Amino acid sequence: MHKIKRTFIYSILSIFAIISIFPFIWMIVSATNKSVDVTKGRLLPGTHLVENFQNLLNTVDLVPALVNSAIITMATTVLSLIIASLAGYGFEIYRSKAKDVVFTILLVSMMIPFAALMIPLFRMFGTISQIAPGIGIDTLTSAMLPSITTAFLIFFFRQNTKMFPRELLEAGRIDGLTELGVFFRIFVPTMKTTYAAAAIITFMASWNNYLWPLVVLQSPENHTIPLLISNLGSSSSPDFGIIMTTIVIATLPTALIFFLLQRHFVAGMMGSVK
Amino acid sequence: MKKLLALIMVCMLLLAACSSGSSNGTESEKGSADANEITVWAWDPNFNIKALELAKEAYASENPDLKVNIIENAQDDIVQKLNTSLSSGTTKGLPNIVLIEDYRAKSFLQAYPDMFHPLTGSFETKDFVQYKVEATSVDGENYGLPFDTGATGLYVRTDYLAEAGYTVEDLQNIDWKEYIEIGKKVKEATGKRLLTYDPNDLGILRTMIQSAGKWYVKEDGTTIDLANNEALKLSFKIYKELVDNDLMNFHSDWNEFLATFNGGEVATVTTGNWITPSIKAEASQSGKWAVVPHPSLPGMESVNASNLGGASWYVLDVPGKENAVDFLTKTFGSNVDLYQKFVTEIGAIGTYIPAAEGEAYKTKDEFFGGQSIVSDFSKWAEEIPQVNYGMHTYAIEDILVVAMQNYLAGQDLDKVLKEAQQQAETQIK
Amino acid sequence: MLQAATKQTIQQKPRKSNNKLRIKNGLIGWSFITIATLMIGLFYFYPMAQALILSFQSGAGSNLQFVGFDNYIRLFTDPTFIAAVKNTVTYLIIQVPIMIILALLISVLLNDKKLKLKGFFRTAIFLPCITSLVAYSVVFKYLFGSDGIINQMLINFSLISEPIQWLTDPFWAKVTIIIAITWRWTGYNMIFYLSALQNVDNSIYEAAKIDGANAFQQFFKITIPMLKPIILFTSITSTIGTLQLFDEVMNITKGGPGNATLTISQYIYNLSFKYTPDFGYAATVSYAIVIMIVIFSIIQFKVAGDKNA
Repeated sequence: MHKIKRTFIYSILSIFAIISIFPFIWMIVSATNKSVDVTKGRLLPGTHLVENFQNLLNTVDLVPALVNSAIITMATTVLSLIIASLAGYGFEIYRSKAKDVVFTILLVSMMIPFAALMIPLFRMFGTISQIAPGIGIDTLTSAMLPSITTAFLIFFFRQNTKMFPRELLEAGRIDGLTELGVFFRIFVPTMKTTYAAAAIITFMASWNNYLWPLVVLQSPENHTIPLLISNLGSSSSPDFGIIMTTIVIATLPTALIFFLLQRHFVAGMMGSVK
Repeated sequence: MKKLLALIMVCMLLLAACSSGSSNGTESEKGSADANEITVWAWDPNFNIKALELAKEAYASENPDLKVNIIENAQDDIVQKLNTSLSSGTTKGLPNIVLIEDYRAKSFLQAYPDMFHPLTGSFETKDFVQYKVEATSVDGENYGLPFDTGATGLYVRTDYLAEAGYTVEDLQNIDWKEYIEIGKKVKEATGKRLLTYDPNDLGILRTMIQSAGKWYVKEDGTTIDLANNEALKLSFKIYKELVDNDLMNFHSDWNEFLATFNGGEVATVTTGNWITPSIKAEASQSGKWAVVPHPSLPGMESVNASNLGGASWYVLDVPGKENAVDFLTKTFGSNVDLYQKFVTEIGAIGTYIPAAEGEAYKTKDEFFGGQSIVSDFSKWAEEIPQVNYGMHTYAIEDILVVAMQNYLAGQDLDKVLKEAQQQAETQIK
Repeated sequence: MLQAATKQTIQQKPRKSNNKLRIKNGLIGWSFITIATLMIGLFYFYPMAQALILSFQSGAGSNLQFVGFDNYIRLFTDPTFIAAVKNTVTYLIIQVPIMIILALLISVLLNDKKLKLKGFFRTAIFLPCITSLVAYSVVFKYLFGSDGIINQMLINFSLISEPIQWLTDPFWAKVTIIIAITWRWTGYNMIFYLSALQNVDNSIYEAAKIDGANAFQQFFKITIPMLKPIILFTSITSTIGTLQLFDEVMNITKGGPGNATLTISQYIYNLSFKYTPDFGYAATVSYAIVIMIVIFSIIQFKVAGDKNA
């Protein structure tokens, strides 16, 4: 009986895994093929990986774009996690009617499509450019500022804080920790898996962020990876071999971050802290 | 607590570092407003960008002082960036010159009046093919310097035709009726469909009606012309006939489009000449292709030439416009040799008439069985009837896509076009 | 700003007086949320207010004129908008529940301590949402083409006799989009459940096992109630995601055939960038999305039960 159940679980997971992994495999295989074979949907690995990679380096400035994306993504992820977890914790632990109202209002900011905000936001950065060109249009800071704080992440941290055992906080207070001390010494280490999930999601969103950076970053030396990929596809005779190679390179950091952080999803983490 | 402070400091520093790092970029940005620097936006690295680089080279040999920054963006990206900047009234970061697709040109020129710098008088309009001049002008004022032609042709697989007993000669200057008849025979003989189209993209309708000098709007560019447009009605009928006889293969995106003809799935491709490099991408099909004139609409005033796509250069009304005009007029506006290079190095066919006399235009292409396709295309380009594209080509076309579906599903043609006319009139003010 | 908040807390010392502590805690509570609130106010609410003003204007590009409620009235007579709303709501009602249940199921399976290859399974199932949309849409069209792998398989197993027009038939195109979104975002939602499951105290399960509860009972009696805050979170964010759906449709069907798969967000994009831009009307359509999301979110908060969820 037990064995049957095991087999059942493994087969279900394997089916999901195969379905999920297929496009990813195809993407990698395509990076080794010629453009014409990619458009024909060739499923076998080819011999053009090195050639595609060399063509890629010859046609675009890959390294600066990678560096820009890395700077934006890392800064956004670190700042997002701090700001949003502080807020999510604040809204739940120090809950009051007034704060609930503020929270509800903040949630509304998730609901409007970003396309509607783009023009007013751009106008705002136009003004900022005149006062402080260092964070105005066409700077990496301007590309990340609007996405550092999202109601989405605050909401996520708040919902997770709801599952946090309050006794731990009281214990910390009795030990003489300040409120911020309780947050950093007790809440943060205990909620490691929540931070891991939030880091993965924020990293991914920031790394793939397209619309706003597209509009606000003008000079090619400020371009990020998604903008680079978009340019590669702009031709009426695009080279899909190069595009696929770039995409594989662009996907690796997120895959790596996920793979590293997913180890934290170990059952019973909380128990061990207690 | 100290650790926490340290962490916060690191983040602040990081943010500061980023902003100072990128403020270098800002300085060079300011520089573009400088007297000796202009910026150009365009898409397609193998085509427009290469053309710009050749132009830059040619210009630099006589005017070494001007720095030309060529910035590559996808076309959709350029449209988004331009719209966002122009509508927010923030000129910061705008280029001096931008490439705009002809179908969209009037939309930009009229949606953002005063943001574009008129070019009237700075180049000879009569040296360019007429339909291009019309597409780039508003109220008699020229705003765009014409660039490539989207002159259409019928790319045919000679080997498939031969199987059905046809030669290239049989396809010269035919109309759509004759084309369909040939298509039926070819399908019988080879099992291959005649052509492939994306059901969401009615480019084929555009080429049909333009060959009769018609568009979705009347000559004024604003009166919607669908319900009583005989050319459009006939085009709908032809489209349905192609579908009903199973001569039309449907693809759903660009990628599949390329794969369809590269994989030899269709007997012909009817589209703009810019498809040539993609056709030639499948080297194994060399010698199996030829290009014949675009089919005309039967039974009405219509020519064997039409257009699909094509773009032109526009100068924005920002500091540096004088330099931008000078750059454009001395290169794309008058340099015959440059146009020869466009042909030999990138296969781009311009709309500058004097250039067609050059040697490069007459080169025979072995891929197309030794045909001088460039010279053929530029000959056809001059015959393309001029129409006023107006401001709403894509908006009307999205309405027509639904109308076409209803028509194909069996509804009455007059009824669907009347409904489309009404919807377009309420939607577009 | 952050430094100011820190300073305040440093100066604060633990006090015995409950009343003072409460006031102090109130202030500290507010200081926790200040930066976030200010940032969102600046980068979201200020532009949102501007967009609201814009929604009462109409015109091409920068030739905007005040038109009062005309745009809002136009919504109700605009066949394209109505088609887009119908499609989007269809996606929402069918897709979100399927995806949430799948994600929950997978994460519970993956939370098994004795399971081997956990890292591999987790990573594999997460991969679709980081696979580039370009690659993903090419693969998708390749699989679901009329002579694609899916049709070939279905024909081989004699499940169908004629190939299904997955991309060009109005009904099947919607099905394809629903499959596409589910495929792409199930792994994403799984992350939230996986992380939340770690915060569920294991001893509760141990106690339940001793009481003789089977796997299903454990799932419905312990897992679901414990994860309620996160289930609510994913339902609301998925609702928002679906009502703002753009990428998949743009890349796979472009809204076609006809308007059969068009979404509201894609219509906003078309109004702003594909057609001669009418940013006023586009803003009105955006606010229509906001109103719909608010309604759906209220329903979800209500369904989730008490205010404490």
